[in-house]
Amino acid sequence: MSLYESVFIARQDISAQDVDKLSEKFSKVVTDLQGKIIKKEYWGLRSLAYLLKKNRKGHYVMFGVDASPEAMAELQRQFSLSEDVIRNMTVRVANIDKSTPSIMMRPVGEKAPERSGDRSEKYSDKRKGGDE
Amino acid sequence: MSKGRSEFSDNSAYGGSNVPVVRNVFFRRSRGCPLEGLSDEELDYKNIELLSRYVSERGRIMPSRISSISAKKQRKLALAIKRARVLALMSFVEQ
Repeated sequence: MSLYESVFIARQDISAQDVDKLSEKFSKVVTDLQGKIIKKEYWGLRSLAYLLKKNRKGHYVMFGVDASPEAMAELQRQFSLSEDVIRNMTVRVANIDKSTPSIMMRPVGEKAPERSGDRSEKYSDKRKGGDE
Repeated sequence: MSKGRSEFSDNSAYGGSNVPVVRNVFFRRSRGCPLEGLSDEELDYKNIELLSRYVSERGRIMPSRISSISAKKQRKLALAIKRARVLALMSFVEQ
């Protein structure tokens, strides 16, 4: 079993409920092949950086998955079969943080969480050291 | 002979004007990698806010000699930008 992050983009003209149904369907593909969905995120209807099959926007859904390579191959096959999915990408990751939502879940314009605030302090200390 | 000598003096004058530029480059070199201390989770295809800082106006990945990012971080940054492009989070070309 390995850890993967799998993102798919659904067509802009389907409703959020349909997207929910779609992601249910895809998570079932993984669980049927003894995989586990560790994390599931809906990033919302985002505007795309360029046209994808004549879509200007798309529903983004991300899965954090612990599954066998075979299960992931099947998931990707299902992605490409679905007419509603306009793009998908699966990458291997070292670990999946179950509790903290990814950066995409953060509302636009909101400041970074405390953790990165701590880091920037560490940064400035380092900078000072470098200047001396 | 005399012509050659005058050329020589011209050259040295030119070289003299170049000195501050050289010094400037030297000064710039002393800054460290701006992404130093950043975790691998942070340098990720989802972090578009960070990635778009290291992309030119046309959407090209900035060379590390300009951004002074370390080679190790630059490789990770380039991979993250390329992944973000696949997902249409960033554009390949900004026209």
